[in-house]
Amino acid sequence: MAMNCNPKDEVDGGPPCAPGGAAKTRRPDNTAFKQQRLPAWQPILTAGTVLPTFFIVGLIFIPIGIGIFVTSNNIREIEGNVFMYYGLSNFYQNHRRYVKSRDDSQLNGDPSALHNPSKECEPYRRNEDLPIAPCGAIANSMFNDTLELFLVSNESDPTPKPIRLQRKGIAWWTDKHVKFRNPPGEGTLEEKFKGTTKPVNWPNPVYMLDSEEDNNGFINEDLIVWMRTAALPTFRKLYRLIERTDDLHPTLPAGQYFLNITYNYPVHSFDGRKRMILSTISWMGGKNPFLGIAYITVGSISFLLGVVLLVINHKYRNSSNTADT
Amino acid sequence: CAGEEDWVDSRTIYVGHKEPPPGAEAYIPQRYPDNRIVSSKYTFWNFIPKNLFEQFRRIANFYFLIIFLVQLIIDTPTSPVTSGLPLFFVITVTAIKQGYEDWLRHKADNAMNQCPVHFIQHGKLVRKQSRKLRVGDIVMVKENETFPCDLIFLSSNRGDGTCHVTTASLDGESSHKTHYAIQDTKGFHTEEDIDALHATIECEQPQPDLYKFVGRINVYSNLSDPVVRSWPIRDESPSLMLWVAIYTGMETKMALNYQSKSQKRSAVEKSMNVFLVVYLCILISKALVNTVLKYVWQSEPFRDEPWYNQKTESERQRNLFLRAFTDFLAFMVLFNYIIPVSMYVTVEMQKFLGSYFITWDEDMFDEETGEGPLVNTSDLNEELGQVEYIFTDKTGTLTENNMAFKECCIEGHVYVPHVICNGQVLPDSSGIDMIDSSPGVSSREREELFFRALCLCHTVQVKDEDHVDGPRKSPDSGKSCIYISSSPDEVALVEGVQRLGFTYLRLKDSYMEILNRNGDIERFELLEVLSFDSVRRRMSVIVRSTAGEIYLFCKGADSSIFPRVIEGKVDQIRSRVERNAVEGLRTLCVAYKRLIPEEYEGVCGLLQAAKVALQDREKKLAEAYEQIEKDLILLGATAVEDRLQEKAADTIEALQKAGIKVWVLTGDKMETAAATCYACRLFRRGTQLLELTTKRIEEQSLHDVLFELSKTVLRCSGSLTRDHFSGLSTDMHDYGLIIDGAALSLIMKPREDGSSANYRELFLDICRNCSAVLCCRMAPLQKAQIVKLIKFSKEHPITLAIGDGANDVSMILEAHVGIGVIGKEGRQAARNSDYAIPKFKHLKKMLLVHGHFYYIRISELVQYFFYKNVCFIFPQFLYQFFCGFSQQTLYDTAYLTLYNISFTSLPILLYSLMEQHVGVDVLKRDPSLYRDIAKNALLRWRVFIYWTFLGVFDALVFFFGAYFMFENTTVTSNGQMFGNWTFGTLVFTVMVFTVTLKLALDTHYWTWINHFVIWGSLLFYVVFSLLWGGIIWPFLSYQRMYYVFIHMLSCGPAWLGILLLITVSLLPDILKKVLCRQLWPTATERTQNTHCPDSSPELAPAASLQSPGALGPRPTAALRDAPTRKVPCVLWRSEEYAVLLPTRASPVTVTVPAFCRDAPT
Repeated sequence: MAMNCNPKDEVDGGPPCAPGGAAKTRRPDNTAFKQQRLPAWQPILTAGTVLPTFFIVGLIFIPIGIGIFVTSNNIREIEGNVFMYYGLSNFYQNHRRYVKSRDDSQLNGDPSALHNPSKECEPYRRNEDLPIAPCGAIANSMFNDTLELFLVSNESDPTPKPIRLQRKGIAWWTDKHVKFRNPPGEGTLEEKFKGTTKPVNWPNPVYMLDSEEDNNGFINEDLIVWMRTAALPTFRKLYRLIERTDDLHPTLPAGQYFLNITYNYPVHSFDGRKRMILSTISWMGGKNPFLGIAYITVGSISFLLGVVLLVINHKYRNSSNTADT
Repeated sequence: CAGEEDWVDSRTIYVGHKEPPPGAEAYIPQRYPDNRIVSSKYTFWNFIPKNLFEQFRRIANFYFLIIFLVQLIIDTPTSPVTSGLPLFFVITVTAIKQGYEDWLRHKADNAMNQCPVHFIQHGKLVRKQSRKLRVGDIVMVKENETFPCDLIFLSSNRGDGTCHVTTASLDGESSHKTHYAIQDTKGFHTEEDIDALHATIECEQPQPDLYKFVGRINVYSNLSDPVVRSWPIRDESPSLMLWVAIYTGMETKMALNYQSKSQKRSAVEKSMNVFLVVYLCILISKALVNTVLKYVWQSEPFRDEPWYNQKTESERQRNLFLRAFTDFLAFMVLFNYIIPVSMYVTVEMQKFLGSYFITWDEDMFDEETGEGPLVNTSDLNEELGQVEYIFTDKTGTLTENNMAFKECCIEGHVYVPHVICNGQVLPDSSGIDMIDSSPGVSSREREELFFRALCLCHTVQVKDEDHVDGPRKSPDSGKSCIYISSSPDEVALVEGVQRLGFTYLRLKDSYMEILNRNGDIERFELLEVLSFDSVRRRMSVIVRSTAGEIYLFCKGADSSIFPRVIEGKVDQIRSRVERNAVEGLRTLCVAYKRLIPEEYEGVCGLLQAAKVALQDREKKLAEAYEQIEKDLILLGATAVEDRLQEKAADTIEALQKAGIKVWVLTGDKMETAAATCYACRLFRRGTQLLELTTKRIEEQSLHDVLFELSKTVLRCSGSLTRDHFSGLSTDMHDYGLIIDGAALSLIMKPREDGSSANYRELFLDICRNCSAVLCCRMAPLQKAQIVKLIKFSKEHPITLAIGDGANDVSMILEAHVGIGVIGKEGRQAARNSDYAIPKFKHLKKMLLVHGHFYYIRISELVQYFFYKNVCFIFPQFLYQFFCGFSQQTLYDTAYLTLYNISFTSLPILLYSLMEQHVGVDVLKRDPSLYRDIAKNALLRWRVFIYWTFLGVFDALVFFFGAYFMFENTTVTSNGQMFGNWTFGTLVFTVMVFTVTLKLALDTHYWTWINHFVIWGSLLFYVVFSLLWGGIIWPFLSYQRMYYVFIHMLSCGPAWLGILLLITVSLLPDILKKVLCRQLWPTATERTQNTHCPDSSPELAPAASLQSPGALGPRPTAALRDAPTRKVPCVLWRSEEYAVLLPTRASPVTVTVPAFCRDAPT
């Protein structure tokens, strides 16, 4: 059998041997995948292909950059809504011990978590044997200065006119409506929070943060804003909105303003600074020249590299031409 | 010489376990191991502890274990699950795999140990399992059985007490060796007889040298000390035989020649481990720096514990050093992802899955045997791309181990049997094909004399017809007789002459019978046999014809015949012989002389005197032979071919072009081996052969020979190396070294004065400068020794050993990569190898294509993994500077866990399975591309540092890009602010995209699968993030990611920022790629440029010229002309073709004869 199957013994090159059962099973499939012959696109990064890319990137990025830059620079003109921020520096909201010192279940209105807050809240978990609501270092250190803005309309009328500052709309919608919830139950907010105590540093309990029902307790927007820990030690947070009343007058007409600060929040101990920022907002947020400049720079570099590559490529062609002739 | 030799330690074996008669010697029962073969590693009981121990000995596994334990013990930023789960998975999978493999080994061992053996106990034949065999047992072996252990031949049922044994599975020589039973025992034929034997054997303790055995047998009744020099293993002689076991089980020469199968590590894995250590250092220093900075920064109490962020009481009370240490560990855990578990998983998977492409390869499937390649370890796939030295066995690997009579040349006329020419079997004399004009009448006479000489001058024995399944059946269907000889060449010659009309029938009562062309039987009386020895390199017979004429026929190597010839057409025959030798045929010259009776008397006297001499008998015999074999008349020459394996020469040529040095290691004798080397074009016409053989060392001292050789070689080494680099090794200054086993052991033997190291260095120096090395007469362990010598020489080259027999096992195990050729007989080599292939020619695809692919794949895999984890972890490190060194994570836990597992795992895995930077055909066609990746080129420090810095750069871009975007400003259009998680998510998003696109830039082979996984994993990331942030997850204690991702995407600047940062991150890499390709292209890149038609539009017309339709009659010319018109590729192409053209041309001009030979029909 084995001898017969030997193709060398075949005289006239017919089929060498009938495929035996064993050989058939051992024989690998002739599929494109198994033979590593799948059809494939085989791109290669050469100067030729990359050159146009560099130019295109340059041509796209530079205008974008200029656009962003101009937008960003126009932001100081006070039209439309004005946003009032407070800023703190040297305040490490992103410290690990601080970031985790909260109980999201409690803030979401979970009754069991309300009365038995997470261990992560230590040492701001209980006070005098009562659970703290809201517990944790973040809530405990909530910013509690009051900022008020007054306009001195003209010199003849020295009485400052208060500017209406809106307290709602400063937090993420999803936070306010989903992530943060007051505890369930009947009765007033105070009753819902029964059996808990206020954070140590707070003057009032959580149900007395605001007079309005839909901005009180855990869904108080000042609290929600504060609870979103900042990424960097110098940060700002949205404090109030100044809505534009009508189209004829600017939101904040030119004039003299008073800023009245009720000073509660100590920053001196950690070498911090407080700021108040008034800003308008464009489609791309507040004033930030970085993005615009970055786009212009990258666009120019890319364009420049394109030119350099073109030169290299050209030189290369020339030299190879002369070498060949 | 037996008893005098002092052996350090000896054993006394009581044959048949019988005590010697009292008074002879004290009976000391000795304990020997039983005949159990153990190759398995674990037992049922020790599997779990031993396997765990072995697994945790791997530095990476140990590291992950430590990290896991740390996470369990202390409060760390991430949960222990993130590292515990993958580790558990990896350990379990590996344990299952290893357990399964060991189970297979147990099964194989059991099969071996339980095969039945017949042995004689108390005069009866008993059948037992092989493992129960003990030293001293008397074993009966039947025809064609395999020996269970090392044995001494006592007797056979042949009258003369001989047997024929092949040692193919031991040393690869498949020829039959005749072994003689001990004189005193050869009379014991039956079970009862042998029971009466009282004897002890004294011999040395087991040692691995196959060719050395010294012992003494004491037979009580007739004391004598014959020496046994045989431990045959495979028997094919026609008799029942009785043997006594001397070495059993793991003490057999075979087992001692096996080496323990240690785990092999590839060069890539070694570099990976080095990189790992570097990263470990980076990790530790990062953690250290952060810890130190943390305490410096915290030295002011308002920072350590500001009023808004107080510690708990227990934290305050903790010891400062303990606190610092915990912080250090916490940093370690935070940054530990820089060395990801997933890298090991991915590498293992890549190797395991990738090896299937070898088994699936249709090109490596052998139709004839129905065998495909086997992969026994997948750990070494990439090592196939790194081979610098190949050590190949000859018999059965390079050759088919199948001698065939090729042609003979009588008086300058060439005769070729038809049989080989067209594959047809022609039994009668019409098979002679004369190439020249037909000879005259006197020539006719010479011709017949030549054939008779061939028929008579040999030591072939004829086996009776009734044994049909013998090994060497004559293809002649008319008369089936089997020739057996210790030299396969002789068999081939006798068979060849048979086809030319003269059949050797038998030797009967010292008459040799020949069937001549006319169908008559001629009888010659065999007077003397002047047997072959390797010094004379010839043999002679003296016969008397029926007519009473006395002839001396002499057959031998050309060099030993020509000087003794006084008549004949020496020049024509010499030229033919030389031509044949270069073709790789084994040539022999045949001469004769007629002796008149008086001369014969003289000859007889001479021989008789020499034979009876008591001292220097060998020397006197040699002198007598010298005197007798002279004044010969040259008849002609023969050429026998040890048929090369298909495309063996082609393969070797390609491998040499790839910069690989090919050494042939064989147990065979020098002439044969050298002929094969010529045939497979390892030695070429211009190769100057340097011999380092025992013969030469006897003439000069080893010292002198070595220095002389090194002087010869080094003189021209300068030009030689340059030739080698250009890939155009011309035949000038091409050296080939031939060394034999004895000379090698002299070189390796340590000397008293410690000068052996010098010899070794010198020897290595010579070898390095030779383009080919042939080592003959090698014992298996010596083969391994050579491999080891090269492996540990100062460049630490990667070695590959390939062989088919059990004698190659030790070298297969020793080399970095061991490849077994799935042989016709025995699968030991295939079983012990790392990879097994059906034919030698498959080595080409294995190395040049698969090896190359695997190497570039895995090196990219390793570098990319380190790169992507630098990108991943470095921003975390930077963030510590902005969060008061508090170990705050930048990314959410889900991102930390899934980054390596799912967001970035599949693209690189699939890349590392599918990537083909150049096509398969190109790699096969242009072996020199293999040099581009030699010496671990893609994992050099420069490359590694580049990747690491690229990672650091990208990480800086991500982090500070996000930093400047977020710093002190609003990015939303409704004035609301983002928190730290949005910041982290932005960095993470940019990172996932950059890292994936970076891989996309590196991919040269985009199949739909690549598209699917690359775009798919990006899509998966987005979908996952939307989902992860879209729901309040009830089982989580925190909801930090709620809507973070969606809010981020809802603002324009985030999009713009992501786009910008990705562009900036990728820009330098693109620039580097393009510039390197343009200014310093590697050979591979040049080929890519040439072979990829869509690489640039200018190339398209050139490519279309290649298609046959648009082409004139001269495709190559058109192809060659094309680039001169096309601008960007001219230089590359002209160089390319400078390299390619000789490659293409040489097979055509040189191979024609070889090709004809190789072609089956």
